[in-house]
Amino acid sequence: MLTAQLLLNGLALGAAYALAALGFVLVLNATGAVNFAQGDTVMAGGFLAVALATLLPQEVGLPGLLLLPLVMAGMAAFGLVFAWVAYVPLRERPPVTVFISTIAVGIILANAANAIFGAAPHAAPPLVGGGQVALAGLALSRQSISIIAVAALLIAGLALLLGYTQLGRKLRATAQDPEMARALGIRVGVMIGLSFALAMALAGAAGLLLANQFFVSASDGGALMLKAYIAVVIGGWGRIGGAVLGALLIALFEVGVAAWASYPVAEGLLYVGLMAILLLRPQGLLGEAARRRA
Amino acid sequence: MQAWLARGPGPVLALAAAALAAYGLFVASPYGLRLLTIAGVYALMVLGYQFIFGHAGALSLAQGAFFGLGAYVTGILGSRYGWSFPATFPLSLLAPAALAAVIAAPVLRLETHYFALATLAVSQGVLLLAVNWESVTGGANGLPGVPGVELFGLALGRGWPLAAFVWGWVALAGLAAWAAMRGLYGQGFLLMREAPLAAGTLGLDVGRMRVSMLVLSALYAGGAGALYVHTLGVISPEAASFPIMVACLTMAVVGGSARVAGAILGALLLVHLPEWMRGLERTYLIAYGAALLAAIVFVPDGLIGAAERLWRRAWPPTGPAVPTAMGAPQRAGPNAAGPALAVRGLEKAYGGVRALAGIDIDLARGEVLGVIGPNGSGKTTFANLVAGLDRPDRGRVALGGRDVTGLAPHRIARLGMARSFQTPQLVPAMTVLDAVAVARAEAEGAGLLQALAAPGADPALARARGRAMAVIERVGLQAQALTPCGDLPHGDRRRVDVARALAAQPTVLILDEPAAGLARGGAERLARLLRDLADEGLGVIVIDHVMGFVLPLADRAICLDAGRIIAEGSPDAVARHEAVVEAYLGAPGEAAAP
Repeated sequence: MLTAQLLLNGLALGAAYALAALGFVLVLNATGAVNFAQGDTVMAGGFLAVALATLLPQEVGLPGLLLLPLVMAGMAAFGLVFAWVAYVPLRERPPVTVFISTIAVGIILANAANAIFGAAPHAAPPLVGGGQVALAGLALSRQSISIIAVAALLIAGLALLLGYTQLGRKLRATAQDPEMARALGIRVGVMIGLSFALAMALAGAAGLLLANQFFVSASDGGALMLKAYIAVVIGGWGRIGGAVLGALLIALFEVGVAAWASYPVAEGLLYVGLMAILLLRPQGLLGEAARRRA
Repeated sequence: MQAWLARGPGPVLALAAAALAAYGLFVASPYGLRLLTIAGVYALMVLGYQFIFGHAGALSLAQGAFFGLGAYVTGILGSRYGWSFPATFPLSLLAPAALAAVIAAPVLRLETHYFALATLAVSQGVLLLAVNWESVTGGANGLPGVPGVELFGLALGRGWPLAAFVWGWVALAGLAAWAAMRGLYGQGFLLMREAPLAAGTLGLDVGRMRVSMLVLSALYAGGAGALYVHTLGVISPEAASFPIMVACLTMAVVGGSARVAGAILGALLLVHLPEWMRGLERTYLIAYGAALLAAIVFVPDGLIGAAERLWRRAWPPTGPAVPTAMGAPQRAGPNAAGPALAVRGLEKAYGGVRALAGIDIDLARGEVLGVIGPNGSGKTTFANLVAGLDRPDRGRVALGGRDVTGLAPHRIARLGMARSFQTPQLVPAMTVLDAVAVARAEAEGAGLLQALAAPGADPALARARGRAMAVIERVGLQAQALTPCGDLPHGDRRRVDVARALAAQPTVLILDEPAAGLARGGAERLARLLRDLADEGLGVIVIDHVMGFVLPLADRAICLDAGRIIAEGSPDAVARHEAVVEAYLGAPGEAAAP
């Protein structure tokens, strides 16, 4: 049925967006910095998957799922480099300099992708396989189900890590109050590096998940960045659960409006929605800005 | 020679400009001229960008959208309807400015990165329109056949006439940009960027300043877009695309975000960069990204900023002479009868915390009122509410008989309220003289049009400095008038803060913990100054913990606890009051902590 298929598509898209938004929130919480390169990092993850796929022997038909740990590891390493180059030298400076440095990294990523792969969209291999699966009398896309499953596992893994492990507590402590964390003996520099690595790994996973069903092109970064941002604003700035919820809402909206009108209309309405949120719902914003002590 | 060099890099810049003109006229090939023209277009765009990014300190990502909008206005009207330059150029200026004016109010309220992302959304929206509204914009392919510049029947050929035309606009725009920001109005922006709370309480209409900067930046970008389309002869969505925004940002950061020379240098450098590195070709944007990253990490002031610093180190400037103190015209007094400040039923809660639970306070002219109370009793909240930094939930505040409840801080400041802060909010790079002078910006009528209309040195700045000197002498800092605030010890910073608050001749002065961190000598001097000011008619409220400072100074005292007044009367009586002692030290019967 059409609506079931649409819903599934929307959830799949939302699951991938959620991973991107989570990475955004992780960096935000750990460093207070807004990562303008988040969208481009997702795109880079997608292209990494495309590149690695050429190494997989085609005839055997191995699932793209095998690429997931490779992509996440590669992007985690990139995350460490990113932190070292764009964040660490600017820690003592006003926050706008970090915005600019992350913009710069995003530019480098987008144009490197353009130079290596060209401007046309590319596709990565499907996670488990293409085609459809019969479920409850409906024919549902196998890829969509796989995306939702993988994303759900990763999100659950992240929640477990942050909520129930000592490392997770250290990461959260660093995010809440770096000075205090340092005073307690937590190695703040290492935690920040890990936060970046984790965020980039999630972004890379999002890229891999998106790259088959929704394609990846070098210019995707800007729109993805905006969607991650909208998701985080909807869900409550800095809240992990909220970011996931916001991402799902955006994706469902996008898929729904695109089916009813067209994709550009969906995007346009999304931007209008973003402006409306920024203007009318200060709660999400005030909660983040620390009160200046007069 | 030394003195000539110490006067600043002006002569060097003039030489550079002459060299550029010579290159364009005699040396450059047709391709080189085209590059020069494009560089001029970008220089114009970056000059505009410096208003919002450099002076207002807001990371706008909509400059490319304004550029694209200006480009499309000229492109569509020129290509489809054959309109000529004198008709299309003004419209290309107005359309982006109008867009900026419309989005300014909501968008400029946002904090830094929210503002950046809102402007990014606007620019994505413009691009979306450009690509999809095919009937008007020609869609992804755009529109060809945009006519060249034709003025009064004279067609400007491609090559050096067009290049000269574009650079003529750059010179005009650069001059205007320099003139607008060179004086007292420009100083206000420095304060706004680094001490935004203080700026409001000193009478600067921060919101309007930001809007002006955004609209100006859009105006310049629109003009640049129009010239771009005339140079290319076609209009396509490329003019509204993100790479142009990227180039603009990179040029501003690399060149230097607050200097006209920086915009020009950045544009020239980064337009020619791909040419010098022939092998880069399609990957020139990667080089831009790398240049941006390197610039922001290593030379955040830009190349011009770094050059300026080196120049100043080699040839230190002689600096302005200390101006003679000037008297200022007296502020029109409030009705002399009635209290200088009257507060009724003021209440404020933050979430679940009741900071103020309903207080009534009267302050007579010439009276010093001491406000004491343990931490968290609501003293600073009271100061914030009265000065307009926050809105009370309930209650009224009247200044000189006039209701000022809920007004913006700059408006309350202009009506005669002044306040100092617990931590003096000074700009480290500003001299004491300028820090106090900028407090007179509103009183001297500093503004954008005023700055543009004044020839030579800004008279408002000179007047403000003269009057500031009088106040500086009053607080005893005349020896440090030309010292940067960042080099001052804490006690002197406190005095600068007070001087600044006095510069606009307030009728009520609120001091939030002025004695904190002062040595005894400094505290005594401050107390004497406040006593003298009160004797001249100023109403003074001193909020402090240091009893030895507040109680001898005050005529009357009030003690706050948990948002309520628990004692009121003569300072000695209040200090000995049972409830006050209990609030500070706890009740006699309470057991000591184990």
